[in-house]
Amino acid sequence: MSMNVYTQADWNAVIPLFVVGVTALVVLFADLLAKHGAKRYVSLIIGIAGLVVAGALCARGYGHDYDAFGGGFVLGGFAVVFEEIIVVSAIFSLVLYSAIGSEDRMSGAVALMLWSTAGAMLMAGAANLMTIFLGLELLSLALYCLCGLAIRPTSRESALKYLILSSTASGFMLYGMALLFGAGGSVALASLTVPAMAHNPLFWLGSGLFLIGIAFKLSLVPFHLWAPDVYEGAPLPVTAFMSVVTKAGTLAVFARFAYGALPAGTAHALLLPIWILAGISMVAGNLGMLAQTDMKRLLAYSGIAQIGYIVAALAGGTSLGMRYAIYYLAAYMFMNLGAFAVVALGSSDNEEGSRIASFHGLGRRRPVLAAAMTFFLLALAGFPPTAGFLGKILILSTNVGAGYAWLAGLLILGTAISLYAYFKIIRLMYDRDESQRVRDVRPAAPLAWVSLAICVIGVLVMTFYPLTPSNVLPLVK
Amino acid sequence: MTLVLILLPIAAGFALFALPKGDRTIGKIAGCVVAAITFFIPIFARGGGDFTARWLSRPFTAAFHFNAGGISYWIALLLALCTFCAILAANVPRLRTFIALVLILEGTMLGVFTARDLLAFALFWDLMLIPVFFTLVGWGQHRETAWRYIIYNFAGGLTLLLATAAFGVIYGSTDVIGQPAHQLAGSWMPWIFAGFAFAFLVKTPVFPLHTWMPATYGDSPSPMAAVVSAVQSKAGLYGFIVIALPFLRGAMHASQWLFIVLGLISLLYGAFVALVQTDAKRIVAYSSLSHLGLILLAIFSFNAVALEGALVYIVAHGLFSAALFLILGYVEQREETRSLVRLGGLGRANPRLAGAFTIAALAALGLPGLAGFVGEIVILAGVFKGGYVWPALVALVPIVIAAAYMLRLLQGAINGPEVVDLPERRDLTWVEGLALAPLLAALVVLGTNPHAVLSTLAVISK
Repeated sequence: MSMNVYTQADWNAVIPLFVVGVTALVVLFADLLAKHGAKRYVSLIIGIAGLVVAGALCARGYGHDYDAFGGGFVLGGFAVVFEEIIVVSAIFSLVLYSAIGSEDRMSGAVALMLWSTAGAMLMAGAANLMTIFLGLELLSLALYCLCGLAIRPTSRESALKYLILSSTASGFMLYGMALLFGAGGSVALASLTVPAMAHNPLFWLGSGLFLIGIAFKLSLVPFHLWAPDVYEGAPLPVTAFMSVVTKAGTLAVFARFAYGALPAGTAHALLLPIWILAGISMVAGNLGMLAQTDMKRLLAYSGIAQIGYIVAALAGGTSLGMRYAIYYLAAYMFMNLGAFAVVALGSSDNEEGSRIASFHGLGRRRPVLAAAMTFFLLALAGFPPTAGFLGKILILSTNVGAGYAWLAGLLILGTAISLYAYFKIIRLMYDRDESQRVRDVRPAAPLAWVSLAICVIGVLVMTFYPLTPSNVLPLVK
Repeated sequence: MTLVLILLPIAAGFALFALPKGDRTIGKIAGCVVAAITFFIPIFARGGGDFTARWLSRPFTAAFHFNAGGISYWIALLLALCTFCAILAANVPRLRTFIALVLILEGTMLGVFTARDLLAFALFWDLMLIPVFFTLVGWGQHRETAWRYIIYNFAGGLTLLLATAAFGVIYGSTDVIGQPAHQLAGSWMPWIFAGFAFAFLVKTPVFPLHTWMPATYGDSPSPMAAVVSAVQSKAGLYGFIVIALPFLRGAMHASQWLFIVLGLISLLYGAFVALVQTDAKRIVAYSSLSHLGLILLAIFSFNAVALEGALVYIVAHGLFSAALFLILGYVEQREETRSLVRLGGLGRANPRLAGAFTIAALAALGLPGLAGFVGEIVILAGVFKGGYVWPALVALVPIVIAAAYMLRLLQGAINGPEVVDLPERRDLTWVEGLALAPLLAALVVLGTNPHAVLSTLAVISK
């Protein structure tokens, strides 16, 4: 097939991805020319500039549905919203890296994060099996390296663990894709919607394997065990990045598959296990938080539960459910990155302050930081007046309306459990017992404070102006 | 103006954090001024008018809709009055932070009691837990108390949230409080009611969900205990009246006897436990359990007279329990104990304290002429008139016991021989007296002239 089959419009659809990818190269070259001491900021500024341009270019696509590359990349409201969430998370993560990462590795980290971002953005629009896998691998390969960037043994352990387990999951997914291709004779997701598929065993087997891969990448229980270990070992900004970007990209793929690629009548039977896993994740993820002594592990378990809520919103396949899943994902992005920003700001140069014990008495030592942490924890727990509160009520109402009241019940149960874990930290921060002295740390990093403030504002504004994107369906043509 | 009513105390509370930490005077004055303003806003603005702003249009319509008319008017006044007195009476370490928390609590509770939208109601319902939690963390004596408080009440908040979501999906709107009654029907209705009822029962609290309550009241500084017992504990009963009665009456009828029995158990159990406690604060806490059981009984007898009595009693109980907690706070500050084993004969050296204590205790045991009596007698008459003879008769028993435990409290602390080794014997200062005077005056006014409240409420209870 010759290149000129594709029109200008096809290339326009993926230009933001190219911008992000090329920016990564520019960062690497600029690092060679920059003076020592300025490298950190050169990389950061170029990286952010590239992401902002990419974000702006993406935004043009909202409301302009277009099937680029014969269905390989479907531009439209859905892809755009996910791309924007990914871009914004990437910007926050870069800022966090510049605040606590080492200068030597800055340019490499920025470049890798940008490539990873490009992979996730590809997943946001991917509508055939090839582009899905391409995006997933681009996202993951860069992340394997990023996990190993910190100078400590657990970081290498984290990278290796992620490499092995994630590759296994990719293997499942790839095998599933092969079977789906065998069943439909085409890589396009749209080809799966023909009624004959419902009776094709290859389709069922392939979909099952595909969904196992998805569940792993989303870290749904029981495919979640990698997440706490990997999160703990990886550098903090990378953990923050993974906790949102990987999930956003995978969720986009899952939503596209669940909403657009299934033959009529199969959705309930095929996806019921995923809804059950989501329900289990809400409870088990929150239970897992209770025993943690490390903040990053705690946030990993918290993320497992939160992704459970988000996936649950999709149960029933309603268009409102999709909108609320996106709403909650955006809210989760702000609350979660905000919490990570607090951990980063409470860290010292060579040691990340992610042990929960280091939060003891934070309310006395760093009142503003403690107040911000309290706010984000309340948001994650679903307390008002935060987007976490409103997001939960939207998901509850979708579940009740779509006939999945049991999921709503599990959400309530999980939230009740999570309360103890989140409040334990709040309690610790405002503890009056002064016998436990904690070494105080670290000068202020102005940009990290700015991103913290943006997260607070984001969580608040989303509560009072709950905009949800209306232009997200259909997903496959 | 209603929005100002809610936001002013919250904003003022946060603004107080900007004051220097050690400051005790400016914070107190500012707190009192803000509380006084929130008292006069509803009076001068005749309820404060209606505020509404759209919030959600899908999956159901919801609005930030607030109105301080009807029942809300009286509860808002009660709340502002109690907050004013509590701030004036407060004398705790880290006073500035404490007053900030009391003000934030006032604002969030004003949100609960003026919300006209279920979702806004649920929002403030959860929000009002946070200042109390921080008070328990910062000033409580036991680590577990804060946990118990937050876990019980947040569990209630979650079922409230689920019920609100289901209500919204089925009814299409949550902007319903104060709207013309519309009875929901269908298989969902009992579940929705169960979600609301669990939250309301925990909050009130009602036996067997009350175990967080004595610890919370005992452990928090007296001014906070005063505000929480006087007003926050009414949120559940208020919810039954403005949400369950107009929209879920079918489910209420179906489960009527369960609630009547729970109300009676709370009444009796609270009274008997109060009879044997030695911690003065716990006596008042358990007496609260008993009194609020009576209000639950009144609501579930579906009788207009009983409901009017319930509304008067909500205000009356708020006044005397706030006064009692503040007085016990004074006693504890002076004598560094609140155990009846240790206390005794305070009346000799503290005539003003003794006088105030006596009025509040007599109001609590239902002496005619004071507000408590009016509420009790109207409730009992209403329950009796509604044909619930046995519940009315059973409810008489704890009223007799109330006299016993309140007099025991009074005897133990005020009368009797002086205990010589108690640390301090200073009588009430004028500021301390000023903090009690409005509550006691209101008890007398409401007791001798209940018509003022009743006439407003008669309109609502129909």
